[in-house]
Amino acid sequence: MVLAARTPGDEAVTTPRVLDVSGLPAYDISSRSPLWLGQLLMCLIEGSLFLILIAMYFYLRLSVDVWPPPGVQLPNLILPTLALIPLIASCAGSYLASEAAKMNDRRGMLVGMALNLVLAIVFLVLRTVEWYGLNFTWKADVHGSIVWSILFLHTYDVVADLIMTTVLVVLVASGRYGEKQRLGVHVDSVLWYFLVAIWLPLYAVVYWGSHVVGAPQ
Amino acid sequence: MKRVLLLSSLAVAGRAQQTAMDPAGAPARSIAHLGLFFLALLTAIYIVVITFALLPLMRRHRGIDQEPLEGNHRPSDATETRMAKRIGLATVATILILFGLITVSVSTSKATSGSPPRPDSLVVEITATQWWWSVRYANNDASRIVMAANEMHIPVGRPVMIRGTSTDVIHSFWVPNLQGKRDLIPSRTNIDWIQADRPGRYRGQCAEFCGLQHAHMALWVVAEPPDRFEEWYSRQLQPAADPADPVRQRGQQVFMDYACVLCHTIQGTQAAGQVGPDLTHLASRLTIAAGTLPNNKGNLAGWITDPQSIKPGNHMATVPIRPEDMQPLLEYLESLQ
Amino acid sequence: MNPVLETAERNEPFGNLEPEAIDKTWRDERGLKGWLSVTTHQAIGKRYIVTAFMFLLLGGLEALLMRLQLSSPENTFLGPGRYNQLFTVHGTTMMFLFAVPVMEGMGVYFVPLMLGTRNVAFPRLNAFGYWMYLAGGLLFYGAALTNTAPDAGWFAYPPLSGPQYSPGKGVDVWAQMITFTEISALCVAVELIATILRMRAPGMSLNRMPLFCWGMLVQSFMVLFAMPAVMVASTVMLLNDRTIGTHFVNPAEGGDPLLYQHIFWFFGHPEVYIIFIPALGMVSAIMEGSTRRGVFGYPAVVLSLVANAFVAFGLWVHHMFATGLPQIGEAYFTAASMMIAITSGVIIFCWIATLWTGRIHLTAALHFVFGFIVIFVLGGMTGVMLASVPLNLQAHDSYFVVGHFHYVLIGGALFPLFGAFHYWFPKFTGRMIDERLGKIAFWILFFGFNLTFFPMHIVGLNGMTRRIYTYPEIVGWQNMNLLATAGAFTILLGGIVFIANVLTSRKSGAPAGNDPWEAGTLEWATSSPPANYNFVHLPFINSRYPLWAGKADRGFVTGMRSDRREVLVTSVLDAEPHHRYVLPGSTIWPFVTAAGLSVGLVGSIFAFSGYFVASALGMIGVIGWFWPREPLEMKP
Ligand code: HEA
Ligand code: HEA
Ligand code: HEC
Ligand code: CUA
Ligand SMILES: [Cu+2]
Repeated sequence: MVLAARTPGDEAVTTPRVLDVSGLPAYDISSRSPLWLGQLLMCLIEGSLFLILIAMYFYLRLSVDVWPPPGVQLPNLILPTLALIPLIASCAGSYLASEAAKMNDRRGMLVGMALNLVLAIVFLVLRTVEWYGLNFTWKADVHGSIVWSILFLHTYDVVADLIMTTVLVVLVASGRYGEKQRLGVHVDSVLWYFLVAIWLPLYAVVYWGSHVVGAPQ
Repeated sequence: MKRVLLLSSLAVAGRAQQTAMDPAGAPARSIAHLGLFFLALLTAIYIVVITFALLPLMRRHRGIDQEPLEGNHRPSDATETRMAKRIGLATVATILILFGLITVSVSTSKATSGSPPRPDSLVVEITATQWWWSVRYANNDASRIVMAANEMHIPVGRPVMIRGTSTDVIHSFWVPNLQGKRDLIPSRTNIDWIQADRPGRYRGQCAEFCGLQHAHMALWVVAEPPDRFEEWYSRQLQPAADPADPVRQRGQQVFMDYACVLCHTIQGTQAAGQVGPDLTHLASRLTIAAGTLPNNKGNLAGWITDPQSIKPGNHMATVPIRPEDMQPLLEYLESLQ
Repeated sequence: MNPVLETAERNEPFGNLEPEAIDKTWRDERGLKGWLSVTTHQAIGKRYIVTAFMFLLLGGLEALLMRLQLSSPENTFLGPGRYNQLFTVHGTTMMFLFAVPVMEGMGVYFVPLMLGTRNVAFPRLNAFGYWMYLAGGLLFYGAALTNTAPDAGWFAYPPLSGPQYSPGKGVDVWAQMITFTEISALCVAVELIATILRMRAPGMSLNRMPLFCWGMLVQSFMVLFAMPAVMVASTVMLLNDRTIGTHFVNPAEGGDPLLYQHIFWFFGHPEVYIIFIPALGMVSAIMEGSTRRGVFGYPAVVLSLVANAFVAFGLWVHHMFATGLPQIGEAYFTAASMMIAITSGVIIFCWIATLWTGRIHLTAALHFVFGFIVIFVLGGMTGVMLASVPLNLQAHDSYFVVGHFHYVLIGGALFPLFGAFHYWFPKFTGRMIDERLGKIAFWILFFGFNLTFFPMHIVGLNGMTRRIYTYPEIVGWQNMNLLATAGAFTILLGGIVFIANVLTSRKSGAPAGNDPWEAGTLEWATSSPPANYNFVHLPFINSRYPLWAGKADRGFVTGMRSDRREVLVTSVLDAEPHHRYVLPGSTIWPFVTAAGLSVGLVGSIFAFSGYFVASALGMIGVIGWFWPREPLEMKP
């Protein structure tokens, strides 16, 4: 914008060239904010963590003939698949909240984040129920170790994000918020989209991996 | 001192004994030739690059204190273009040279790793354990299998296939005069081949850090003419004979009475322990405790009395032997030719 | 000099910025709490650098002890246990507690200055990262002092490092110390990327960004993708196997020790470029300041840096050639490893062209650059030899490799770093460093370095394996080892001269002024040492070397508020101003968070529940950190 409007000539010695930015907004609740970029980078870090875990899964899978080891009950497919519905739906809540944050719509933020929280908790409950169906632990063998590592790390991230969302709900509900916190609400959604999106390949690996890549006869 | 003398005589007997720069067999020789080629070429490039980097110093301004600074320096466009061309040229040259290096490297790799080129090769199974080597000469005929430890003999001119594994941590089999190294990994078997073209004693050493006594995990490869090798081999096939001499008989008894029997095997006796090296032909070896000491009576006595101060942390227990039992035990062990 | 910037700083002819006001806004609190709350990037950067330097001294001391032990055959100065701890602690210290953090520290200090902004994008994250790093270092050395130093080497291969063969807590401490330093490196990476992409001075489009900032940008992305791998290797695989009984590296239950190696080196190879690439940026900066021209072939250098980073992720297997891989894989990794010589070569060629076409002022800093070229290129050549599978199988795990990596690490990273210390010393302290002493230190270090590490190549090919605490006389390695030991003490001497020079020049060096070298980049456009806010008026530029450019090509930003910590956010590619952005102030919460997290992580060495403690305490800290303070900044 302003850069193009250069003052010609070289009178700069007495009047240095000046770029007046007082007209620019003091905050920007959008993907142009450094905080948004920072959150994206955090997601990249976690993404590469999970990609490594997926690579490990297949490395271990391909180095043995029988997978999972005999006696291990394959995870039930229905519950985790069902759990995808509230999980994916919860993104709508996130989206609602992040758009409301831009517009400083307090009700919208609250509704969005609440929706996000409720659906995510439904997902977590389903996940916990499903864990009771697994007949192996991380100590059983390497299959147990890698599957539980993936499940644990993803759940850990989800819970951490939900706690942060809860804190934001408290802030917004109590009225103790300004641009900074609205930016927080907006950026929080980035992490949530990521956690949902990364779950899809992880889900495929954990629940379908052993069916697809050489299930035991 | 004595130990030094003895080992130096070993070294002299076998000429150079642990170096990649004096190859004694086909694989090591191809690698050494490849290495010389790399060395020559890269040294030449190095000299050229460094010369060009240092040349500008000839025409430098004297130094910051002597010379007032001027505004920034802008060479003419012509100079810049000329430089850009030269850099382009150097880059193309680099690419071509590297392409050549990759090609020779891959072809040498094909020739030196993998299975031995000839079917009549000897197969030796090496099993590394903290901190010694078990050596087993495989054979379809079970009665022709030889067990040894910390030393292997090979016939000159015949490829030897090494099938290596480990029972605990990762070790690495490296006899630099004969071949590059190969890791020995628990629950995997790695294959390598070595070959000696001239007789000699080649020292090898475990190359992968494997714990406390990684430094004292050496191994000797003795390359002999085929007839000498066969002689050695048939001697190794024999179980230990029952000693005739009463002192040695006593010694055998001592070995069986003390804890030695729990950890060591002496074929032909009831000693069948698997924890330590096979001692059936102990006396025929150059060194004891994986290259730690030259094999002689004094060292043997020292080793048995206090293995932990000679090779701290090794897995041989200190067995308190009554003084009067020591001499017979040594006599007996010395007789295990 | 630079009349525009100078006059502006003196006269404040325009705008609503009052230096007093801005000074007040950016001032740090006093007292201990203030000290623990600091979030300015210069303070944090300096802390990184000084702390890392302490670890260099410790690592060096350990090296000297090792060299004493190796100086003669059958030496009994150190037993096997001590020696194994020493090289493990030396390698770990140098890689994780010195080399990476010192590069991060330089980045934290200089990137905002070179970009013409006031701080990094996330100042509190920056402070937090530093505290995590410090805690990791203290944990590591605290454990070492209570005799629980790890002894499985700096890459801790299982099964040796596993529960069965390394009982005791040493390896757990190692694994968790890595977590601390990785967290710290990741924090710096995130904030530097955000700063570089979003907070450059208006007009500093990406192709006008100083090469050092390019180096830090590339390095930060490498950190982002590489560090998670080492966390997986050290905590998910190794530590969990050791503490909660998972089976990743246990062959008996389907685990695989080679998997650990793959994951470790997927991090470990990029790691060496994480150390090296910022150093390339430093060399570029010194070269520009000392030849008084921009680095020749700027686009080629940038492309090569980026390409180096990409290729670096594809050649980790060259550390594993001896494990017995399929031949086709070997060929690929040989080719990939050698390809990296092309991009490194292009950079070297561009520098040579810079030297040829520039006007050389042979400063002490430039001495180190020449030393860098002479040493690094040799180390690169031995790297190319190592990349060839057959040669590697001979040289692997021998002192040839030890020689290679000290050439590239010390030559490729430490010499540039020392050069950078000399070059930027005036900026750090406001005073010039003694050039003569600097040159003397250089020559001692250069000579001592080659004396120490050149013989290692020879003795390595003569069969000397690494990580041995002693060797018999018959193998004939004693002379080379004696030379190396002598060299190490020569390095010590050089180090002492350097330290003495720093200490005296800091007090009594000639005052430097803003821009003693008349260099071209923005860090020289402000006072030395810079104020907490870096620039009274944020600069705006129109060329790559604004201080060399015509007056029409630079200017100032006005209209920023001085009563809060405002910075300007610009667009990613062209650095067009987009909005103003308020950075958070100083606070003790990052320190509290780091302390809580550390307590938990140390606990996790003993029980898995430590992670939950870490998470709970960390979460409390983070909530305090983000808790809104009045005023809530509703109005622009
Ligand atoms: C700063 C750190 C750094 C850097 C920059 C490098 C650079 C390189 N390294 Fe090095 N390396 C290490 C640090 C580093 N290394 C460390 C720490 C280890 C050991 C880890 C351990 O085991 O503890 C190691 C180990 C290591 C190995 C494994 C050795 C083994 O254990 O068996 C290999 C094998 O390929 C290798 C190769 C290379 C190559 C090809 C380069 C290339 O990038 C070099 C490229 C540069 C040049 C070649 C010079 C400039 C180019 C020209 C002037 C052009 C003309 C050149 C030609 C035509 C050839 N390195
Ligand atoms: C950046 C990284 C770095 C640096 C700078 C160094 C520096 C040095 N290194 Fe290091 N080294 C490694 C990284 C590094 N090293 C790594 C990764 C390993 C592999 C470890 C492993 O196998 O696991 C290794 C291994 C290694 C070995 C092999 C050990 C073995 O395999 O058995 C040796 C042996 O000589 C060695 C020597 C040295 C020496 C003499 C220095 C010298 O240059 C040190 C010079 C510094 C000083 C001399 C300090 C001076 C100051 C003081 C002593 C303090 C005095 C106090 C005051 C003034 C207050 N190093
Ligand atoms: C706890 C098991 C154990 C007991 C008991 C034991 N040894 Fe050993 N022994 C070992 C191991 C393990 C080694 C290999 C040590 C090394 O080199 O690291 C060894 C090595 C040796 C060697 C050197 C072999 C070689 O080829 O290098 C001799 C000789 C020996 N033992 C003799 C004895 C005698 C005699 C006794 C009884 C007095 C005895 N050992 C008791 C385990 C044992
Ligand atoms: Cu076995 Cu080192
Ligand atoms: Cu590498």
